Amino acid sequence: MPIYPALAVTAAAVVVIVELRVLRSGLFREPAYWISMCICYAFMIPVDGWLTKHSAAIVIYRPSDTSGIYPVWDIPLEEYAYAFALLTAVMLTWDRLGRSVTSRTPMAEEATA
Amino acid sequence: MDRFQYLLLMGACVLITLPLELHFGARVWRRPRRLVLSLLPAFALFVVWDLWATNTGTWDFNPDYTVGITLPGGMAIEELVFFTVIPVCGLLTLETVRGILQRRDVR
Repeated sequence: MPIYPALAVTAAAVVVIVELRVLRSGLFREPAYWISMCICYAFMIPVDGWLTKHSAAIVIYRPSDTSGIYPVWDIPLEEYAYAFALLTAVMLTWDRLGRSVTSRTPMAEEATA
Repeated sequence: MDRFQYLLLMGACVLITLPLELHFGARVWRRPRRLVLSLLPAFALFVVWDLWATNTGTWDFNPDYTVGITLPGGMAIEELVFFTVIPVCGLLTLETVRGILQRRDVR
């Protein structure tokens, strides 16, 4: 497998394993998370599409390092795994930090926010 | 003006998601300490990945659409903005959807 899809899939898998084995926040059981990811992917098309469009690319990939599969516009397939890893990692960290503040009562968060 | 394309795109992402904070009560920008700490681990890992990928040539940045300030190996400075702006957009979305679902459940 070319290097970029290999690393992107690895990054996504690491994030899933960290959540399921270490953090256990329950984010993946939350409908709000999946709805949010659908919205993020919808907005990823114009934003990442603009960055990667072959006609005037801002980010240029070495073809041999990518999957060469472009499901939508010129966005490489592995970019969706990359986005999953980045967004989910930050959401998990955000929730983890929020939990340490809100572990007592929901009101505590409002007071310290 | 073309050299600001990448930065302008990131600016557009900030602007388009701002109503989530201002009108939908996402409370992400208003928790700056928690926000910065939330971004740091992924920021560090993805910047290391980016530096490596740029150095090995997996990807490169078009000088026509970037301001021209680069980190060693040619990584565009805009990437640092990307790793800040895009996760913030994700958090704003998550907190907005959570708020909407919670208000619906309360009713």
